[in-house]
Amino acid sequence: MKIFSIDKMMAAVFGLMVFAFFAFLYPFHLNYQEQYQLFLFSADYVSSYFVKPGGLSDYLGNFLTQFYFYSWVGALLIAVLLTLLQVMVWQVSRKLGAKPVFLPFTFVPSVLFWSLLCDENYLLGGVIAMLILGVFILLCIQFRTGWERMVFLLISLPVLYWLIGGAFVLLALFVIGYELIFRQLKTGQLLTLGVAALLLVVVLPLLAKRIIQQYPLSRLCIGVNYYRFPVNVPVAIGIIGLLIASLPYLLRWLSAKLRSGKAVFLIVFQLAVVAGGGLMLIRNSADMAKEEVMAYDFNVRMRKWDRVIAMAEKKKPSTPLSVTCLNLALAKMDLLGERMFAYYQNGVGGLIPDFVRDYTIPMIAGEVYYHLGFVNTAQRLAFEAMEALPDYQKSARSVMRLAETNIINGDYAVATKYLHLLQQTFYYREWATKALQTINDEKLIDQHPEWGWLRKCRTREDFLFSEKEKDMMLGILFRQNPENRMAFEYLMAYCLLSKDLQHFVEYFPLGKSLNYKAIPKSYQEALIYVWGLTHPDPIQTIPYAIGNGVKNRVRQYQRIYTGQMNAEPALRDQFADTYWYYLHFRN
Amino acid sequence: MRKAVLYLLSIALLSMVACNETVVPKTVRKEKPVLFPDYVGVTVPATIAPLNFKVQGEYQAIDALLEGKNNQIIHVQDKDFVHIDPVKWARLLNESKGDSLRITVSVKQADGWVQFAPFAVHVSDVPIDYGLVYRLIAPGYEVYSKMGIYQRDMSSFTQTPILENTLIPGSCINCHSFRLANPDDMSLHIRGQKGGTILKTSGTVKLLNTKTKQTISNFVYPFWHPSGKYMAYSVNNTHQVFHEAKGERVEVGDAASDVIVYDIAKNEAIGSPVLMQDSVFETLPTFSPDGRSLYFCAAKAKKMPVEYKEVKYNLCRVLFDPETGTIGNTIDTLFNATAIGKSVAFPRPSPDGKYIMFTLIDYGNFSIWHKEADLYLLDVRTGECRPVSEANSDQTESYHSWSSNSRWFVFSSRRIDGLYTRPFIAFLDENGKAGKPFLLPQADPDYYERLLFSFNVPEFVSAPVDLNTSTIERLMATPGENVGFRK
Repeated sequence: MKIFSIDKMMAAVFGLMVFAFFAFLYPFHLNYQEQYQLFLFSADYVSSYFVKPGGLSDYLGNFLTQFYFYSWVGALLIAVLLTLLQVMVWQVSRKLGAKPVFLPFTFVPSVLFWSLLCDENYLLGGVIAMLILGVFILLCIQFRTGWERMVFLLISLPVLYWLIGGAFVLLALFVIGYELIFRQLKTGQLLTLGVAALLLVVVLPLLAKRIIQQYPLSRLCIGVNYYRFPVNVPVAIGIIGLLIASLPYLLRWLSAKLRSGKAVFLIVFQLAVVAGGGLMLIRNSADMAKEEVMAYDFNVRMRKWDRVIAMAEKKKPSTPLSVTCLNLALAKMDLLGERMFAYYQNGVGGLIPDFVRDYTIPMIAGEVYYHLGFVNTAQRLAFEAMEALPDYQKSARSVMRLAETNIINGDYAVATKYLHLLQQTFYYREWATKALQTINDEKLIDQHPEWGWLRKCRTREDFLFSEKEKDMMLGILFRQNPENRMAFEYLMAYCLLSKDLQHFVEYFPLGKSLNYKAIPKSYQEALIYVWGLTHPDPIQTIPYAIGNGVKNRVRQYQRIYTGQMNAEPALRDQFADTYWYYLHFRN
Repeated sequence: MRKAVLYLLSIALLSMVACNETVVPKTVRKEKPVLFPDYVGVTVPATIAPLNFKVQGEYQAIDALLEGKNNQIIHVQDKDFVHIDPVKWARLLNESKGDSLRITVSVKQADGWVQFAPFAVHVSDVPIDYGLVYRLIAPGYEVYSKMGIYQRDMSSFTQTPILENTLIPGSCINCHSFRLANPDDMSLHIRGQKGGTILKTSGTVKLLNTKTKQTISNFVYPFWHPSGKYMAYSVNNTHQVFHEAKGERVEVGDAASDVIVYDIAKNEAIGSPVLMQDSVFETLPTFSPDGRSLYFCAAKAKKMPVEYKEVKYNLCRVLFDPETGTIGNTIDTLFNATAIGKSVAFPRPSPDGKYIMFTLIDYGNFSIWHKEADLYLLDVRTGECRPVSEANSDQTESYHSWSSNSRWFVFSSRRIDGLYTRPFIAFLDENGKAGKPFLLPQADPDYYERLLFSFNVPEFVSAPVDLNTSTIERLMATPGENVGFRK
C-alpha cells in the first residue's frame, strides 16, 4: 500500500484547504453555529433524537458541532468529514472501474458541500447522513453476488431510513443501478427485488407516518435536519446526494470512453473545473459581511472588548450589528463618549437594536442590555433568541445568560436548573460547576466582578420595558445608580444619535457623579454646537471645558460648512469623525 | 453443564441479594426526610402511578420500606432514588384504600445509614379520573418554539402527544378544553399562518374561523356548556409588556375583551350587550354545572398598558337559558374582589355545584406571572370564600381544574423553582378541606429539573383522547368554517 499516492496527496491537500478556509477565513461562522445548540450528555437527550428518521445523523452532526466552540477544531472536523466523503466517492468509483485520471471529479460532492456549509444554517447532520450513505454503498459493493447485495439492500433500507432519513432512497437507486450495469441477476430476479426495494422506499416513510403522527409526511420523507429551517426542502443536498450515488457510474462510463493520450488534458481540465468552479462557488457562498458581524459578536460574547476595537481600527464596521458590538466595546472600555464618532454610526439602531423575532438580533441586543444592567431584558432576549431557533434546539449561550441573569436576580432555584443542564455539556461544565459554588455564597456573588456590579446597576424601581423609550429607561437606570457610567454614556449616545440635543443638554449635568477628568470629545462637539445656536461667539463664551482642539476644529468645520455650496465631500474628508458631521450628514 | 448453569444462577442470585444491603441505621433522626417531590403526608388516589422520590442532599444509597394494609410491604433500595415497582405499588395502594402507607426512608452516608422518622401517605378510596391533559410549552415571552398538548395516564408514567406543533410548523397550539372531562368533546386553538379552532364533538372534528365582524378577536378562553350544545368563549385584545425589576417578568393584559356563547349546532356566536360592554373587560367565562348560569370575570375598562395595575376583576354571573340560547340581562357579582383590592381569574365551578375555585391576584387576569397568585374556594351555598391554604404556596398557583367527581383538583404551581409551572393534585374532603397536594409523579424524580417546559392548563380527562392527526392536517389545508354571529 502506497503511503504517498496521488489520490491520498490530493485528498490531503483538499483537506488542508478546507481546514485553512474554516480556520482562518471563516472561523466565526463555526462559533456562531455552536452557540445555537445545547448538546447534552444525557440519556434523555440522546433518545430525543431517535424518535424520528434521520435522528442519528442529526445527533452525530450536533455532537460534532459542539466542538465548534474552538473554531479550529470545527475546521478540522469539517475538513476530515469532507475529505472522507471524497475518499468514499473515489473508493466506490474505483471499485466500479473508474480510471485514476478521473480522480479530480470525485471532489465535486465535497466541494459542493463545502460551499453549502458556508451558509450558517446548513447543519453538519447532512454531511454525516451522506457519509453514512457512503458507508452503506461501500458495504454493498463488497458483496460478490447480486443476491447477496439485494438481500443486504432490503435489510439495510429500514435501518438506513432510521439513520439518515429520506436519503436512504439513494442506496436503493445505487444498488439497482449496479445490478442493471453488472447484470449478475436475471431480469426476473432483478425486477422482483427491485420492486421490493422500491416498495420499501415508499412504504417506510408511510409506515413512519403511522407511528410518528406528529410530523407531516414531508418531514418524515426528508428526515435529517439538513437546514436550520425545517420547512425548507433541501434541494441542494438532494443534488449532492444524487451525485454521490451516480458519480461512480458516470466516471466508469467516462473511463470506458477514455482514449489513450487524453489523460493529461483530462486531468488539467478536471482540475480547472473543480478548482475554478469550486473557488467561484465558495466565493459566492461565503458571506464575509456576516462573518464580520459574527466575529464582532463572538468577541462581545467572550468579553474581548479590546479585540472588538482592534477589529474596528483595522476595518471600520458598516453593518448595524457590528456597530452595536463596537459601541458596546467602546462603552465597556469607557471610550464611547470619546470615540464613538470616529466610526460609522447608523443611528440609535446601532446603539441598541430593536427587538426582532429571530435568533441573532435579540442575542446581540441582549448583550447590550446585560452589560448596561437591564437584567430582566437581557434575560428575556436570551430566552427569545433561543425560542426563535427554528429547529427547536436550545442554545448554550442563551442558557448561560439565563443562568447568569437568574443568579443576579437572586432566583437561585431556576438558575440551578440551568446550571445543572450546562453541567451535562462538554465545554460549559466547568463554568457551570463554578457558578453553582458561587450560588451557595451570597458574598461571592456580590464580589463577582460582573454579577456583583450588575446587581448594583439593575433597577430597583419597577417599570415596563418600552422599545420606543429607551432613553427614558436609560435615564431611570442611571438615576438609580449614578456610578453606572455605561448607562450615562448610552443615554448621552442615544440623545446624540437621535439628534435630540435638547435632551442631551438637559441630561449632560447628570454625568457629574462620574467625575470625568475631561468632557468626552463627542460631548464637547455637541455642546459647542448647541451653544453656538444661541450665542454669536460660542468659542469665547461657552461655559463648558472645551479643549482647544475641538475649538479649532469647529471653526474650520463652520468655515467649510457655511462657505461651500456642497460641503459634504470636503467635510467628510476632514470631519467624518465628528459629531457635527454625523448631525448634518448622517440620516 | 447443568452444574455450571446452577452455579452461575446462584452467583446471579447472590449478587442480586448483595445489591440490597441490610439497613442497620447508625443514626436515627426524629425528623421526617425532605423529599423531592415532597410526598410526606400527601393524599393520593389509589390509582396513582408510583411515587418515586429522592431525598434532598447527597448520599451513596437510599432505602425505603413502604408498609400498607394487610401486611403489604415494598422494600426498595437504590443508588439515586426510590424507584418503586409499578405492579407491587398498584397492589399496595389497592389494599390500602381508605388507609395510609407508612414509609420509612434511610440514606447511606459515608459513615453509615441514617434513618428518618417514618411518614404517611394517605390513600383515598375516592377515585380520580383516568388522566391529565396539559400543554407543554417553554415559559417564554413573545416567541415560541416546540410545544404540544399531551395526555398522561395517571396510573402509569405514559405520556403521549395529542397534538404537537411539529405537525403544523410555526403554529401555536393552546386552550384545550373538555366537556366535563369527556375526551370526545374537545376544543383547542391553533394560531399561526394556518389556524383556527378545532372543535371535536362526538366523533366529528371541525375547523372554525372564529373571527366575526361583531367580535374583537378570534375565540380565546373556552368553557363547555354541560349539555355539549354550547361553549362560552372570551374574545380578547391581549398585549404583553415586560417588567424591569427583579421578581417580576411579564404582564399580560387585555386592552379590550368580551364574552360570547357559541351555539355549536348553529355555528353562531351569541352576543349580549351585558357581556360586550365597552366600559367593562369581560373574560374567562364558565358555565355552572346546571348550565343555567354563566360565570365570568369583569373589570372596569382601563387605559392599557398605562393603568394595568388598576384592572381588577370581580367574579360575576349572568343567567343563561340553554333551551333558547338566551343570555340574561342582569349581572350579579358573586365575589367582589375589587372591594379588597384584588382580582379574580379562572373561576372554575366544581361539577357537583358546591364550590367555585378561582385564582386571586393583585390585579389583571393573567395569574401565571403573578407570584402572589393563590387558589380560593367559594362556597356557592353560603357565599363564604377562603384561600385554599392547604394547597397554596408563596409562589404562583394559577390554572386549576376539577375532577369529574369534584373530589380532586389539579392546579399549576411554580413553587419548585419560581418559573417552570408544574402540575399538583390535591384531594378535597366532604367538608371542603383540601389535603396536601402532590406533584404529578414521574418515573425519574429528576425529570422536572431536566424539563425546559412548563405544564400549562392541566385538565382532567375520564378516558384517553383520540384526536386523529391526519384529520387535523386535512382540516388545516381547508379554509375552515366561518362562524356566524347573532344577538
